[in-house]
Amino acid sequence: MKRELDLSLLVAVGMTIIFGITMIYSAASGSTLWRSQAIYAFLAVAAAVAIVYVPDKLFYDLTYALYAFGLLTLLAVLAFGTGEPARWLSLTPGGSLRIQPSEFAKITTVMALARFLGDRSSEQVVSPRAIIGAVVISMIPIALVSRQPDLGTAVSFGAPLIPMLYWAGMRPLHIFFLVAPLLSVVCSFEPLWQDQAPIVFALYIIVSSVVIQLLLARLWVTLSMLAVNLSAGLVTVYLWANFLLAYQKARVLTLLDPERDPLGTGWNIIQSRIAIGSGGPTGKGFLQGTQTKYEFLPAAHTDFIFSVIGEELGFMGAVFVLALFLFLIWRALYIGTMANSRFASLLAVGLGSILTFHVFVNVGMTIGVMPVTGLPLPFLSYGGSSLMTNALAVGLLLHIYAHRHEY
Amino acid sequence: MDPEILEDWDRRLRGLLVAVCLLFAVLFLRLFHLQITTAADYAKESEDNRIAQRRVKAPRGLIVDRDDEVLARNRASYSISLIRGSTEDDARSVAALEEAIGEPVSYSRRSASVRLKRDVDFQTVALVEERLRGDGFPLHVDIEPQRDYPYGELTAHIIGYMGELREEEAASATGRYLLGDYVGKTGLEKVYEDSLRGVDGVSYVEMDARLRIKDEHPFPDREQAPIPGHDLRLTLDLDIQRAAAQAMPDTLAGSVVAIDARTGAVLAMVSHPSFDPNVFVSYRAQDERRQIVQDSHRPLLNRAVSGLYPPGSTLKLVGAVAALEAGITDTLSTFEACAGSLQVGDVVFRCNNRDGHGELNLLDATASSCNIYFNHLALILGIETWHEYGRRFGFGISTGIDLDPEEQPGLLPDRQYHIEREGWVTGHLMNLVIGQGYMLVTPLQVARYAAALGNGGVLVTPHFYGEAPPTQQIEGVSPETWETVRLGMHRVVYGENGTGRRARVAGIEVAGKSGTAQGPRTNDDAWFVAFAPYDDPQIAVAVVVEDGGGGGATAAPVAGAVIRAYLEDQARRQQAVSAETLQTPEPGS
Ligand SMILES: [Zn+2]
Repeated sequence: MKRELDLSLLVAVGMTIIFGITMIYSAASGSTLWRSQAIYAFLAVAAAVAIVYVPDKLFYDLTYALYAFGLLTLLAVLAFGTGEPARWLSLTPGGSLRIQPSEFAKITTVMALARFLGDRSSEQVVSPRAIIGAVVISMIPIALVSRQPDLGTAVSFGAPLIPMLYWAGMRPLHIFFLVAPLLSVVCSFEPLWQDQAPIVFALYIIVSSVVIQLLLARLWVTLSMLAVNLSAGLVTVYLWANFLLAYQKARVLTLLDPERDPLGTGWNIIQSRIAIGSGGPTGKGFLQGTQTKYEFLPAAHTDFIFSVIGEELGFMGAVFVLALFLFLIWRALYIGTMANSRFASLLAVGLGSILTFHVFVNVGMTIGVMPVTGLPLPFLSYGGSSLMTNALAVGLLLHIYAHRHEY
Repeated sequence: MDPEILEDWDRRLRGLLVAVCLLFAVLFLRLFHLQITTAADYAKESEDNRIAQRRVKAPRGLIVDRDDEVLARNRASYSISLIRGSTEDDARSVAALEEAIGEPVSYSRRSASVRLKRDVDFQTVALVEERLRGDGFPLHVDIEPQRDYPYGELTAHIIGYMGELREEEAASATGRYLLGDYVGKTGLEKVYEDSLRGVDGVSYVEMDARLRIKDEHPFPDREQAPIPGHDLRLTLDLDIQRAAAQAMPDTLAGSVVAIDARTGAVLAMVSHPSFDPNVFVSYRAQDERRQIVQDSHRPLLNRAVSGLYPPGSTLKLVGAVAALEAGITDTLSTFEACAGSLQVGDVVFRCNNRDGHGELNLLDATASSCNIYFNHLALILGIETWHEYGRRFGFGISTGIDLDPEEQPGLLPDRQYHIEREGWVTGHLMNLVIGQGYMLVTPLQVARYAAALGNGGVLVTPHFYGEAPPTQQIEGVSPETWETVRLGMHRVVYGENGTGRRARVAGIEVAGKSGTAQGPRTNDDAWFVAFAPYDDPQIAVAVVVEDGGGGGATAAPVAGAVIRAYLEDQARRQQAVSAETLQTPEPGS
């Protein structure tokens, strides 16, 4: 059976991966990491293309089983995980081959969400039962991953939820209802506003209540919104004061002010910012980044690969990478509009959301607008698990594209 | 799919794309800010990261004696620093070092590189270089110059020592010093700090984050070579200094000062007991340093300039000069015979000879140091005249030696001084004229006084380095007076009843005056002042031995030893000069 491949997506992904291998060569110069990444890349692209030829119905049918399997691997990490903190599963004794199950579980969670929402019509999606179901599907892996603990990855499980709910039929106002408690958390977050926190929070509560009352004119909705917002804010204050681990607090605080501990937690952010800033418009040249080659930049070939690009290739290189990602994201969402089912369409959008979230959080981290979370940059950061997962996502997108005319 | 659904998806695609573009706009704007607007600041920070400005310490000037014998020099010392990482990493490195050397290490997180241990021995250097660095601890060894005083105790009070700059001093010395720098703390090291120090240079080095050097000279054009400090050649003569120190009784405290009687150049300055100044520049000798500081014999005190003593009979010549000028006495005239004591007011003053010296003229009274003679003389002279002559000899004021600010001015009391305390009675003058009462002098003042007595009233300024400061002629004293006093001092050494016969030196004629001063100690302080040669005084000496008893017995031999060393030194010099003249071929021959 002849299948039509989405060449533009495949070429863009191939370019990104080759670009990544090149930058890994610079970031970890003297090592052969770039070669292992090239091998992973070959396997990953092969796997992606292979997925295209899987029968269309199979994914839909296996979705919940895969989701359950994903949860099992996460449980296994909690029980037998290796690494510090434990995020890995060794496949061989001694751990020479190991995987990061949380990466694969992201895909299966998006699939489960896509099926759960896809099985319901746009009207049904808005019902509390559907929303609660979707939230539960996301929350189970989040709960398991945050036990590792891996805050960044945990949050990334939640990232596709809102775009997918929106895609499945929710209106912006509904989205606002969902997001309101999150905004409440942000507005009551003391380190962000310091002394102004009570004022910001009060202002948010008043404005949101007034807007909802004016739009819907239903007092019980407004009052319950108010109650939810208030409790979200108060819980935030309580958790911040009593519950967060010291290293998590430090990360958040250092994001807000990296100079707090320039040689400790703030080091990564400061050095990354220096690397990117000193790259200037055109960069210091390939293999010429002093922040990179003199090891000022930590984790240069993994989490901070974007900083290497920024330093050596400058604003041009950085914008080129952003443009590549923007194309990939657009392509994923666009494939979503061509899908042959609600399930496939939602899956494409979910995968595009994960990509968007990873790019924004990782790049944002390197330039100091997001906290240091340890999320890799898709296709560019060194690492087999991440590359495999992203290739899997691309494979699914290629699959959706190839099967778009099969009803 | 249903066209209605496709339309809905298209609408929602636009909505999501707007959201994605908003997120990317944040990234784009931030990147623009970093890489275009403020790129120059980050380029600078990036350079600061890898380029370390290094101070190239200027070698400190040497201090040598007048024969170029080195008294203070520089040696290499090794210190261990830590390249800072996280708090936990630092703690591990410090613990590893402590365990390896078996000593506690002080540590504070203040700068990127922390000096943990200074002036360590070779064994520790090897330990750090081979074992700890090999184990991956970010420690490294620096070489820095350290001061070394080869003659230790012998020149400790003159040269002084260096010490670490204190925080408040570093703040006031803008830019020139860094915290932890060594500066002269006492003695000539302190006085001549500015010229000894030189000007530090600057070099640059390119390093990676682990402080591994990547390029030793990334900016050869920006580097500045250090300007070495000036060497100091002192007036001090180490041979005379050594002779003076050896002549002092080992168990007793005291001081010897020898100056050039014509210029004030200090030839020897001994303060006993002394200390090893190397203990103060070394980081290894904390305990020894504490011992020295706490020692009840106060070895750190430079007794030559800061020790205050009653001068005893050595001061009698002030009265003699004053009386001769006032016409109260002359070479031959006598006062009432000495019967061993004299009552003035309610107090009976005793002579050193309890049986009395009988009738004496000035010369014999000087030679035998008769108190009663000088009491009679002072009764006529009065406190004002005596005080005026004491002032002219430079008592009660600092000599201005370049060993500031340790020098004490001493005390020359006048009538007012006594009135302010227990009131004036003539008895006070009876004490002052024989160098007792409230009178206090430093050995250096007394050496200058001895020089002035020998050279016809020229008051010199004692100094260790540089051009001789201008001298000052004591005015209103006739040459005959000087000659009479000199003759009296000659008799002290060569007269039949002279108290200073033990100061005699074969081959040179010595004149002097002994003193036995009652101080706060159990025994008397022994004094002797001298100048030589008698006909053309070149060297003037003052010796004080605390608890030494009689000046003629204890202090005079010390003065003699110093003069003997001077004589031998002169002989060596002459030999060297004549040897040189013989070797120089006659022009035209
Ligand atoms: Zn007498």
